[in-house]
Amino acid sequence: MGSLGGGLFKGMAVTARNFFGSYFDKDRLVAVQYPEERIQTPENSRTFPFLVYDNTPDAMRCVACKICETECPPQCIYIVMDRDEKGKPMQRPKVFDIDISVCMQCQICVEVCPFEAIKMDNDYEKSQYGRFDELIEHLPDLLKSNDYYNKIKPTEAAAVDAKLKAEAEKKTKKAPAPAAKAAPKPAAPKPAPAPVAAPAAGKFVIPEDAPFTPEQRAWLAGFLSSGGSAGTATPVAEASASVGEAAEADASATETPAAEPAPAGDTPWHDPGLGMQQRMDLAKERPLADKLMAAMAQTDCHACGYDCRGYADAIAAGSEKDLSLCLPGEAETASMLEQLMKEDGKV
Amino acid sequence: MNYAFWIISAITLLGAFLAVTLRNLVHCVLSLILFFLGVAAHYFLLRADFLGAVQILIYIGAVAVLILFAIMLTRNVTGTEGPREVFGMKWWSGGVIAAAVAAFVLQAIKADSVTAATSTTQANSSVAEIGKALVADWVVPFEAMAVLLTAALIGAVVIALEEVMRRR
Amino acid sequence: MEQLYQLLRSCSWFAKVPDCVLFWVSVAVPIGLVLAVYPAIFAYTTLIERKALGRIQNRLGPNRVGRWGILQPLADGAKLLTKEDIVPRAADGFVHWLAPVIAVIPSILLFAVIPVGSGLIPVNLNIGVLFVFAISTASVLALFMGGWASRNKFSLLGAMRAVAQVVSYEVPMVLAAVVVVMAAGSLSTTAIAQAQGGGLLNITNWFVFRPWGFVGFVLFVIGAMAESARTPFDIPEAESEIIAGYHTEYSGFKFALFQLGEYLAALAMAGITATMFLGGYNGPGNDLKYIGWLVGAFWFFAKLMSIIFVIIWIRGTWPRIRVDQLLGFAWKVLLPMSIVNVLAAALYHFINPKPLAWVVTAVLLFIAWLVLTKVGAPQQIEKRVYRYAD
Repeated sequence: MGSLGGGLFKGMAVTARNFFGSYFDKDRLVAVQYPEERIQTPENSRTFPFLVYDNTPDAMRCVACKICETECPPQCIYIVMDRDEKGKPMQRPKVFDIDISVCMQCQICVEVCPFEAIKMDNDYEKSQYGRFDELIEHLPDLLKSNDYYNKIKPTEAAAVDAKLKAEAEKKTKKAPAPAAKAAPKPAAPKPAPAPVAAPAAGKFVIPEDAPFTPEQRAWLAGFLSSGGSAGTATPVAEASASVGEAAEADASATETPAAEPAPAGDTPWHDPGLGMQQRMDLAKERPLADKLMAAMAQTDCHACGYDCRGYADAIAAGSEKDLSLCLPGEAETASMLEQLMKEDGKV
Repeated sequence: MNYAFWIISAITLLGAFLAVTLRNLVHCVLSLILFFLGVAAHYFLLRADFLGAVQILIYIGAVAVLILFAIMLTRNVTGTEGPREVFGMKWWSGGVIAAAVAAFVLQAIKADSVTAATSTTQANSSVAEIGKALVADWVVPFEAMAVLLTAALIGAVVIALEEVMRRR
Repeated sequence: MEQLYQLLRSCSWFAKVPDCVLFWVSVAVPIGLVLAVYPAIFAYTTLIERKALGRIQNRLGPNRVGRWGILQPLADGAKLLTKEDIVPRAADGFVHWLAPVIAVIPSILLFAVIPVGSGLIPVNLNIGVLFVFAISTASVLALFMGGWASRNKFSLLGAMRAVAQVVSYEVPMVLAAVVVVMAAGSLSTTAIAQAQGGGLLNITNWFVFRPWGFVGFVLFVIGAMAESARTPFDIPEAESEIIAGYHTEYSGFKFALFQLGEYLAALAMAGITATMFLGGYNGPGNDLKYIGWLVGAFWFFAKLMSIIFVIIWIRGTWPRIRVDQLLGFAWKVLLPMSIVNVLAAALYHFINPKPLAWVVTAVLLFIAWLVLTKVGAPQQIEKRVYRYAD
């Protein structure tokens, strides 16, 4: 029957079965009548980010550290930190906007947040009657309770809650002990690979096994972190052996590659995109305060009560004893600070 | 009946006039179709239903469509390229030929006895009558036409085949 | 129409009414009915089509406007009426405007010669079948004008495809209808319908139950589908290749007119098919007294809608065929088959007894079909050998 058109009737039989079957077999009609019926979204489905608060909207977890703002690939997050009358940072955002027309739902903000403050929602009914301001979500829209988070993503939220509880218990237990011991283990002689260790790193990390000499590596790091503006930078071959200057050459291309001390106040490591190893390399041969600053997470989040520079200066000056205040840097920063202070002989 | 005749005649003549004066080739063909339609309407008016339907079927459905198709296969698809002036250099030769044909046809109409009768009762053009006339009284011209058309068909196929062969 | 005129004149109520009024009334009533009934059927055919296609794909189809979506056609109409009418700047304005009008007129004219019941025909032309073919070829003009006037390459391609397709399928379609004309001995649609009356339950004399009638029916339906550009012969408006073909540049109500013309042509062709091959209004009970005409009309519309349903079903099943396949199929398979079919019908007429004639023509046609499908079949594509994938 093949060449005589039998296949045509086979097809007709299939469609006829569909046609009549759909009247008797409800399983055939898979379509859902949307506004009246809805399909439960899978737990891991995600739409746009929201901010978690614990009990009241005032107790939001976000400390306005701006890591998410820095990391966001399409740059759809805008954060302004809240300050009290004296201008002291209050560790919470005054403005937190997400432009959901720009957000690409990549979840990187959730990945990098050290405070479990930003999570992915699964609310897909976001249509608005305008396409400008209407599509920007402000702080009140974004704030949702932890209960809501537990409701939409029970498994994930339970894991987060357990982790936060464990941290809180550890903090209360270790509170009297020296803060340096908050670090779970002493700093390794060789710092751990940056992509794993540093949550803030991730934008321009050069793999550890990449075939670069230290100078090349440092120059590349500086080049990448400066957004590729170092087109006129000194070629690597001419760069001096000093890694600090190699990076500097990028910042000021006209500078001769001779071993001159870097001008004070210049902080090439002040970029949250760099890994700890890279930052420390950049700050080598610098005074203690600079080294300490390079160990910070570079977000100027004021979670410690200072900006990164101020916290480093305070530690170096001895006015600040607590080395575990850098929240975005987590244990890595704390252990590095401890190590630096030990090397300096101040502890 | 008379009004209908004059209206249809006016439309027919308008179609004929536009067909030769319009600049755009496709517009000319569309006017020609209007003209064909007018002729068909005249047939219907004369109660020659069969001829009227065949007029539409052959002239509009086949001839005009074929002309349109031929235009579409040329590069002048939009029909806008063409001679600037309506009357070419040799317009007078065409005029002479048209006048000769018109005189010939007029002579034939005058000489024919059927038109002299001008009665609707005699013009019995039922399909059966036409069929019988074609295959009984006029069978030789009818078959000659058939042979001619078949020859033309075969000729077209041969030309097309040559093209195909050459391409291979 | 004439019957209505006679009826009105014979009725004593209208004795005082002048003749010319009665005449115009008897002209206006059939026209009004045609203009009211068939567009209504068209409107609901679109709904039925969408519902049926939905069911074929295990969907529900439109079900929001009114219960079961029965007001959907009204919503579509309102939407198309209120849409902006866009004419391309480069378009040929007049022809662009004229094309949708031309598209609708022949389709409506076709209904003039379709008998709905015994004597229920708007105009009883004695050349009915010829009239149908003459008018339906004129519809190709609309497609050409629409495609050409839009000054759009896709529109023009659609127009060219439409012209080539309609001209090609016209020939086998006419030859398929010739067998019916031969059997009924008349070009009149009324006479053709009458010739199929009688027999067991008014069914057995339908032409479709003769071998040549069946083949003619299949050929005619294929031709009618191609003529009205229905899937699988919808290459003039193949949306995956040339957007929407000749009506790419049409919007709003002009687009609706194109759709109307296309659907009305399909409906009319289904009506003609029902009349010529499926016995028209003949069916069990159409010769009853007083209500016979109603039963006949019921059978006619039932047959019409069944054909429409099969066409929709085919649309939901078969893929669109390529241009070269389309034209090759018309000239290499359908045309020879229809010529053999004419021969078979003649044989059937002259061979007695009829059961023998039935068997002989059936065998002849079956052999012709076998040969043509072997000869006309496209070259079998060799199994492809992959260098890396296997």
